[in-house]
Amino acid sequence: MTARKSLLKVILLGDGGVGKSSIMNRYVTNKFDAHLFHTIGVEFLNKTLEVDGNQVTLQIWDTAGQERFRSLRTPFYRGSDCCLLTFSVDDNQSFLNLSNWKKEFIYYADVKEPENFPFVVLGNKVDVTERQVSSEEARLWCQENGDYPYFETSAKDATNVAVAFEEAVHRALAADDKADHLIPTDTVKLHRKPRSATACCS
Amino acid sequence: MAELLKVIFEHDGIFLHPSPDEGSLDEDLLVSGFIRILEKDSEILVEYRPLEDSVDPSNILCAGQDSSSVVEWAQCPGEKSQSRQLLETQQSYETEWDMVNAVSFRKKNYTNGEGSLNHSHERSRWAFSVNISDLRSITVKDEGWAFLILQLKDSSSSLPALHFHQGGSREFLDSLRRFALLTECPEDETCLLVSTPNKALSQSFENLLDDNSFGLVHKFKRDPYVTTLGSFSKVTNYIYDALRGTEEQQQRPPEEVADLLGEVIPGLEINQQEEPGFEVITRIDLGVRPPVRRAEPLYADEWSKLQDPEGRIEDEVTLRQRIFKGGLCHAVRKEAWKFLLGYYPWTSTLEERKSLQKAKTDEYFRMKLQWKSISEEQERRNSRLRDYRSLIEKDVNRTDRTNRFYEGLNNPGLTLLHDILMTYCMYDFDLGYVQGMSDLLSPILYVMENEVDAFWCFVSFMDQMHQNFEEQMQGMKTQLIQLSTLLRLLDLAFWNYLESQESGYLYFCFRWLLIRFKRELSFQDVLRLWEVMWTGLPCQNFHLLVCCAILDSEKQKIMEENYGFNEILKHINELSMKLDIKEILQKAEGIYLQIRSCKDLPHSISTILGFDTERRVSNQTDPGSAPRPVPQQDVCSNGHCRENRPQNSCRGVFTS
Ligand SMILES: Nc1nc2c(ncn2[C@@H]2O[C@H](COP(=O)(O)OP(=O)(O)O)[C@@H](O)[C@H]2O)c(=O)[nH]1
Ligand SMILES: [Mg+2]
Repeated sequence: MTARKSLLKVILLGDGGVGKSSIMNRYVTNKFDAHLFHTIGVEFLNKTLEVDGNQVTLQIWDTAGQERFRSLRTPFYRGSDCCLLTFSVDDNQSFLNLSNWKKEFIYYADVKEPENFPFVVLGNKVDVTERQVSSEEARLWCQENGDYPYFETSAKDATNVAVAFEEAVHRALAADDKADHLIPTDTVKLHRKPRSATACCS
Repeated sequence: MAELLKVIFEHDGIFLHPSPDEGSLDEDLLVSGFIRILEKDSEILVEYRPLEDSVDPSNILCAGQDSSSVVEWAQCPGEKSQSRQLLETQQSYETEWDMVNAVSFRKKNYTNGEGSLNHSHERSRWAFSVNISDLRSITVKDEGWAFLILQLKDSSSSLPALHFHQGGSREFLDSLRRFALLTECPEDETCLLVSTPNKALSQSFENLLDDNSFGLVHKFKRDPYVTTLGSFSKVTNYIYDALRGTEEQQQRPPEEVADLLGEVIPGLEINQQEEPGFEVITRIDLGVRPPVRRAEPLYADEWSKLQDPEGRIEDEVTLRQRIFKGGLCHAVRKEAWKFLLGYYPWTSTLEERKSLQKAKTDEYFRMKLQWKSISEEQERRNSRLRDYRSLIEKDVNRTDRTNRFYEGLNNPGLTLLHDILMTYCMYDFDLGYVQGMSDLLSPILYVMENEVDAFWCFVSFMDQMHQNFEEQMQGMKTQLIQLSTLLRLLDLAFWNYLESQESGYLYFCFRWLLIRFKRELSFQDVLRLWEVMWTGLPCQNFHLLVCCAILDSEKQKIMEENYGFNEILKHINELSMKLDIKEILQKAEGIYLQIRSCKDLPHSISTILGFDTERRVSNQTDPGSAPRPVPQQDVCSNGHCRENRPQNSCRGVFTS
């Protein structure tokens, strides 16, 4: 009855310039393009991978971070199965803004139980030598905010990028399984509301 | 328990003018407040709420008192503080991260209007809330401002007239049209009859299509009209998708995303309705698209011949037309763009241009010095400037870096890009820097190869694009609505398809419109497209026809492959750098000619394309030849005339 999802929507959020687009490209095409444009609007890429013998398609969404574009960005949060909160270890402000990104996501994604929603935190650009955020600080934040897994990544030299996405997939699937146990299908039928729509578990 | 309500529309500056017989003791009393359209479950409510300090305690709301649908807002004392608290929590959240557009409050239903009269909560005397299914009609009147009279179905009395002193009545009605049919009353054209959808119909769909038709049911709840062709195709598509059991079924449906976007771009749905009679579908029959040929670009020797001995451009009209048909060869761009963008007036002499440039150089460096001379310590106390600078630094490093002019580290092109953008912040601090602006500047700087000229040309271009970047992004919303209107009337079948995939508001064209195809075309092709667009020919908003041309080439694929919401977005995003500028311009011009020769053009199209504001010059009628443009552009040598120009400053005007 609880056939697993085969399409997962994952969204990258964080300040402009922390490397969201680079991380996505690294993961999907295994390339780092130093000439990449800054993102305008909303984009996504698909990547297929195998989890426990099953094919899973990851749909990775990337957006523009500037405040001005918020209203046209936030609708795309809906239906996310996992959120990758991203900062850059050489930019303290981007780290401080994590909690705002988390808040914005929870608010607009309309998640059922924010406290159980799978977030994964990425501290990107670890290849850079001048750090402004230490691993300890970052880990502490993750611990205090809901025990999120934390990865120090580099889109540039590919450090930890794949691992982070795989963790995101596992978390998303685990959350999905748990939700299936919590909500018997009957209930779904009775209260057919947008928010309980991890829809048909056929 | 507090109920979560969704605010669909909100507008303040709405006044009541209570007359003495309505309980006002003071004849001059005006009640100021705001109006909202709210969604609660699947009910749509219209609420009026006065601002607290404007209300005289002696006032009593009489109107609508016997309607069961009138509820009071601020309720009894105990509850009141509680509801207040909820509101305040929300508000502090809002100011902190400014993300709240939903409000929680408690409401109480009065089955008997007497109840509300006997209460002593004066502030809410004037407040009312009506379910739109209880509305019989809305009468629209004008007294220099618009005022609306809402008439209830089961009551002979009406609610107090709502005076929209600060505008917004049209937007209010447009929002309302998303949930109800407003049709002109045959006997009285100021009166709009309100009819709401048949609940039984959507209910039966809910039963008909079981579980995995979730998307359909959800959509019907929000938008239960099946009267338009668009909606019919929507229905069939949902059924189709439900049966097909696509992969997307596993996800929350993308239409949730779409619905939210629809709210961000309000007014879209109604703007597609040509006539007030909502369900009328206007379709124009376009003739065959005439073949269009592009010309050779304008060469340097041709350009120099166009000036009189003092350096005035002699025949601007022909020149514009020439540029529209062929573009410019690169050698001419540096000079010609200054005219096209309005930095140089066409009629200026060489001498005048020299002194203009001198004055502009001084002005530029004065502004540049302003940010250059800010100390680090000062900047620490100026968060806006700091934010602009940080964004500019990041984006300059991510703009056209494969172009020779901007490639590598420490390229002087990068410094110039940075400095001009910083100076623009000083020129227009309110707007500052918004992402996308570096894309607009880069080609201009590349062509000008001069900091000052590039700056002022950029200022002129920004005058045209300003609204795209403003806080509310009104320019983007307007363009999306206009494009949707055009597409709907030019290609109803395709538009219906998009609509059936929740993509009728054309969100996927966002990047095209924000930065005028800068990311879609190769750098050289961007130069060509922009100079063609800057001629203002053949009509206002030609770039929207360019959009239509591109979509026309893609529609077959999109429909054949049955692309859904996400796939359409992805497909359009991935067209980037695969488009052929010549083909697009030919097609766009062809579409223009088709529309131009169309007999009964809907008014909305004429307005969008500026046909209705053309000044016809009778003595130049020249049957059989292409329309002849007549300059209408204001002399605008300095880029300062945004305020007195229409958004599309280089508007062409021609005889037909
Ligand atoms: N050194 C280093 N630079 C990176 C890394 N990831 C991204 N960048 C650079 O950081 C800048 C911003 O990256 P981008 O992906 O556009 O950030 P986004 O705005 O979050 O999408 C670009 O110049 C990238 O080349 C990384 O892991 N290491
Ligand atoms: Mg990006």
